[in-house]
Amino acid sequence: MGIDKKQKKQPAPRPAFSQVLRKSSLSFLAMAPLLLGVIGLVGLFQVLVTPKMLASLFQGNPFLDTLIGTLSGAAAAGNPIVSYLIGGELLDQGISLYAVTAFLLSWVTLGFIQLPAEVAVFGGTFTLYRNILSFVFTMLIAVLTALTMQVLS
Amino acid sequence: MKGKNKPFAFRGLYLLSFVVVVYGSVFFFNAQVAGLAIGKSWVVLRKILPILAFVVFFTTLLNFFLRPKKITAHLGKESGAKGWFWALVAGVLSHGPMYAWYPLIEDLRSHGMRDGLIVTFFASRTIKVPLLPMMVDYFGLTFTIVLSFYILIGSVLQGLLLEITER
Repeated sequence: MGIDKKQKKQPAPRPAFSQVLRKSSLSFLAMAPLLLGVIGLVGLFQVLVTPKMLASLFQGNPFLDTLIGTLSGAAAAGNPIVSYLIGGELLDQGISLYAVTAFLLSWVTLGFIQLPAEVAVFGGTFTLYRNILSFVFTMLIAVLTALTMQVLS
Repeated sequence: MKGKNKPFAFRGLYLLSFVVVVYGSVFFFNAQVAGLAIGKSWVVLRKILPILAFVVFFTTLLNFFLRPKKITAHLGKESGAKGWFWALVAGVLSHGPMYAWYPLIEDLRSHGMRDGLIVTFFASRTIKVPLLPMMVDYFGLTFTIVLSFYILIGSVLQGLLLEITER
């Protein structure tokens, strides 16, 4: 009985590296259609939603612009460098720092395009909670950053 | 372990089919736009391929060297402050689009990674270390420091709030 217990406590032998690599590759391969779908949408959005279109959405009202910044950042797709370029242009055009900060943040953390993939991988409830939290915190951080900048300057 | 012996099945076939139909429709109305979009998608795919390869390799290394119990100890319910720290560090250091990291995070989640840490990981990705000099150039050093500070605090708060909501 004592030997049995000892035997039970022994960890299972480590699988071969090639086996683990094969398993990881297969689970990635299974996700390939999902990723290709998202990449396809990113390409389409990059062509259809131009930086000029995004810049034209802002109204000049700090509160409304923060909301527009969050939503347009979430709708946009592409490298964050592009968000810096657009953000810099928006600041030059007199758009508030609240809006530009919200735009920069939501560009990375929120994404309408990747929502179907996020739901498929993490489930609807998790995706809903994460995106609501991200939306609220994007606005909050944008306001806090702009206010802190005002105080510091 | 959840999902350990799942049979192989492609995921997202509906999404891919939908995207193919959308491209078909766009091609029908404006072939040039569809061609441009395919070109852009190809550029994105080429850019993230090394990241995807890294994700697969890193997932393999984690699964090979770390037992599920170890992963749970670092990122699971009992991970404590250490878990938040690793989620923040991994988020800040991770490169590329969010969806490129889905396979790794899904794997870690199946080994017990807390949902709150996943939220923190995704939220802290807003800080892009390689792009910090560019952010400083465009928006100034003070703005970059203030924003990064609030992002780090906000990321942990989001994770904590998610865990409170899920209780």
